[in-house]
Amino acid sequence: MTKTGQKAPRPPEAAEKGGVSRRQFLAGVGGLGVGALLGGSLAALALPDSVYAVPASQGYLLVDTKKCGGCESCMLTCSLVHTGKENLALSRIQVAKSALAGFPQDSAQYQCRQCPYPECVEACPTGAMHADEATGVRTVDEGKCIGCQRCISACPFTPSRVQWNFEERHAQKCDLCKNTPYWNREGGPGGTQACVAVCPMKAISFTAELPVQSDEGYEENMRNIHWSNLSFPIDDAGKVSAETYMRAKAAKPAGEDASTDSGKMA
Amino acid sequence: MSDTNYGYAGSILVLNLTDESYEIIDSAPYVAEWIGGHGLASKLFWDYCEDKSVQAFDPKNVTVVAGNPFSGTLVPSSAARVEITGLGPFSYPEWYTRSSIGGRIAGMMKAAGYDACVVRGRAERPVWVSVENDEVTFHEADSLWGMGTWDTQEAVWSEVTHGTPDGGWYEFTRSRDGGRSADRPAVLAIGPAGENLVRTATITHDASHVAGQSGLGAVWGAKNLKALSFIGSKSFDIADPATLVDLRIELQRDYGFHVDNPTIELQSVAYAPMGEIIRQPGFSTLSWNLRDTTGRPEGCLGCYRNCRVNVKGRIGNEATCNASTYYTASGKLEDQLTTNTMLNDLGIDGFEVDLIPYLRNLNKMGVMGPGKDIDTDLPFDQYNTVAFPETLLKRIAYREEIGDDLAEGLARAAMKWGRWEEDTATGLLQRPYWGYSMHYDPRVESEWGFATILGERDVNEHGLNWIIHWTPLIWTRLGDPWLSAEDFVTEITELMGLSDPKCLDFSEEGMYSDKMVETIEWYRYHGRFWIQTMGMCDWAWPNLVNFVNFDQDDYGGASPRFELGFFKAVTGRDLTYEESQDYGRKFLLLDRAIWIEQGREREDEQFAEYIYSVPTDTPYYMPAVENGEWVYSQNLGRTLDRDKFEAVKSKLYEHDGLNEKGYPKKAELEKYGLDDVARRLEELGKIG
Repeated sequence: MTKTGQKAPRPPEAAEKGGVSRRQFLAGVGGLGVGALLGGSLAALALPDSVYAVPASQGYLLVDTKKCGGCESCMLTCSLVHTGKENLALSRIQVAKSALAGFPQDSAQYQCRQCPYPECVEACPTGAMHADEATGVRTVDEGKCIGCQRCISACPFTPSRVQWNFEERHAQKCDLCKNTPYWNREGGPGGTQACVAVCPMKAISFTAELPVQSDEGYEENMRNIHWSNLSFPIDDAGKVSAETYMRAKAAKPAGEDASTDSGKMA
Repeated sequence: MSDTNYGYAGSILVLNLTDESYEIIDSAPYVAEWIGGHGLASKLFWDYCEDKSVQAFDPKNVTVVAGNPFSGTLVPSSAARVEITGLGPFSYPEWYTRSSIGGRIAGMMKAAGYDACVVRGRAERPVWVSVENDEVTFHEADSLWGMGTWDTQEAVWSEVTHGTPDGGWYEFTRSRDGGRSADRPAVLAIGPAGENLVRTATITHDASHVAGQSGLGAVWGAKNLKALSFIGSKSFDIADPATLVDLRIELQRDYGFHVDNPTIELQSVAYAPMGEIIRQPGFSTLSWNLRDTTGRPEGCLGCYRNCRVNVKGRIGNEATCNASTYYTASGKLEDQLTTNTMLNDLGIDGFEVDLIPYLRNLNKMGVMGPGKDIDTDLPFDQYNTVAFPETLLKRIAYREEIGDDLAEGLARAAMKWGRWEEDTATGLLQRPYWGYSMHYDPRVESEWGFATILGERDVNEHGLNWIIHWTPLIWTRLGDPWLSAEDFVTEITELMGLSDPKCLDFSEEGMYSDKMVETIEWYRYHGRFWIQTMGMCDWAWPNLVNFVNFDQDDYGGASPRFELGFFKAVTGRDLTYEESQDYGRKFLLLDRAIWIEQGREREDEQFAEYIYSVPTDTPYYMPAVENGEWVYSQNLGRTLDRDKFEAVKSKLYEHDGLNEKGYPKKAELEKYGLDDVARRLEELGKIG
């Protein structure tokens, strides 16, 4: 049997020609999308030679890995709104469950990050993989896809966030629900994303702001005090039991309003 | 009803273990009239089990694993469960029986292309079977035999996916178009208990999803079947995807627990079971308080609640229900978690939850222990440490020492020890029906008790029970009830489609009334169709009162509007609620025919003696009319009146299409097209 998706992630700081890696460049522009920068001050910005200009996506999916309940409802919905069929293997967001592993290794979520420098787009020889003109969403023009799978290989993440649709034989990826013919709502960055709408744990959210990212994924903590009331940890690492948290909270000095606590542990 | 284009995989896999062969048949002729789940499983059992009078461990026994149209869909709390049926060894006496399993199994079996899987025969050698889309392979299981269910599953995962690491895509074939999955295979496995024909043996899936009651794990042990693995990548069509998504979102909005801003939540855990009523995520029995452990809520495929928990260190993952409270004597959460995982890994049903206390009582009475009438060196001196359940469970699983008696189930063990008659007469051993532990009391909660005794196992469907029994009980702990008893029953009966609020009058008089007969039949038919056939989780469905987002002026539940809406959206078929209830009736009629072939007679359907003679002495809250007023009654001092129960039984028989002896009537069978069943019962001389 062949196995795919096994290639090691690209070293995070591998230098590109010109001495500045894409990630280094991203770090340099901070939380702003490159599109925003290019839109207003292209002439004033000195881009490294190897960095090409692609409009920033107008939106991103965020996942709190420790809040996900592993129900895979996001996957069921993704498949449904895009194709009218149910097929977990064709969901553009993937949740890998292992009920026999301990928290938090028992569940991992893999969503497209709408990279500022989309190597999938760069790798495509036909323009099928492209940034949507209106929204910047990285997406596939299926009619132009010749099935070379270079986009899939180019994705720096494991598993690749670009997928091979083995039924229709073309590449596919998260389009933030821009093209969802089997849904009554408007999708895309200006609309609603089906996985966000359906997730019962509210572990997936949409943001228009480019998130700070690492090879471990977006560092998101969407757990507020109510999560602690459910008896689950709300610190970033998920290592502090809710009971410990409650005790700590109870010990807070008088006058400090615990109800406004964002979930961050000292 | 014949259109089966939507919601189905299209095929049924029939495994013949005896010669390690298989065939794949078209599911359309079956599902057109038997829908899926229990209905489909019973029909397949009827067709494939050539001799239904054999015992459970006979190679002629057949087990069926059946999904349904909701399997693998976005229908909330309904996508995950398969129904498993076959002749079961646990009940006394043995009957054709059922269980179900959630987790990921129903979705993955359908993704592989199957609406059901029939398991026939007995393998000459221990085997496990891999199903990967159209590829079905039999493997020797010598290396797995003796392993716990957890190690077995991990070994099968690795074997099937050739060691694909977590998060990697596993390509099914060398072709890029041959399908792929980033998920692990969904494996059904037995542990040492099943291998050693322990009558309480489970079939376990993932950490803690089990076919628990019925002992079907031991049937697989008798068949030399260690594990059945499914992985697939096939799509199936949904009739109206947009409506399905809309309904899902609407249900979550109006009836779901809003984790970031809940309407009601348990902040102080003042009386923890309320967390179940308001359907808090991660709030099955174990997690009434996670104390110093960290973890997350965890759910079955497509769930909108995620009631289980996964914890740091994995021991106790997915624990729920009685198995999570099987051992509490040490007072330590870690022992509770350890015992839970031990049960699931050895493959022993946690529903014999009265086992440990009963043994302890016998020991205290001087009946059980070294040199006693029941001679055993079980370490009762370590009763307050986890060493006790650890020793006990291993002895049961491996049939060592006293474990050899207990491997027959506590009822049969008590019979062997000569204690059954006395202890079930006094109530020391509370096993009211078919040798099963008392779950809910037939002396008061008639729908549960009567459905069980007219069935073959603890009915174990909580949709109504959580509302009418647990909720009033919990309200007494919280102070005042949220609703008056009259408003409460009025709302519920309206949604259930019952004729009168008095259908929920559980008073001494009410529990034998024609109104209560109506309720019992509603409960049995609804359960047979929506829970057992459509795989809707009984911890979420039916949804009769909206306690999650309770408003004093608007608390009506989601049922049955959403059940019917989801059915239409997935299958495209028009189905009325009345038709769904009639399907439940039909499926029960076929089950009854199987029980009759097994030798069931009216007089078999009797409760243990204490139900008729020992009055209830602890409060058992249920709505009731007392002195002309609706109250939440404690129902103390209640016994079951034998004659009145027999009268109710006759009425239930009449509703079911049975004669006074409990035999199906020929006309009823023919009405449902069951002419072959009628012919068989005629041959037996047992047709009404």
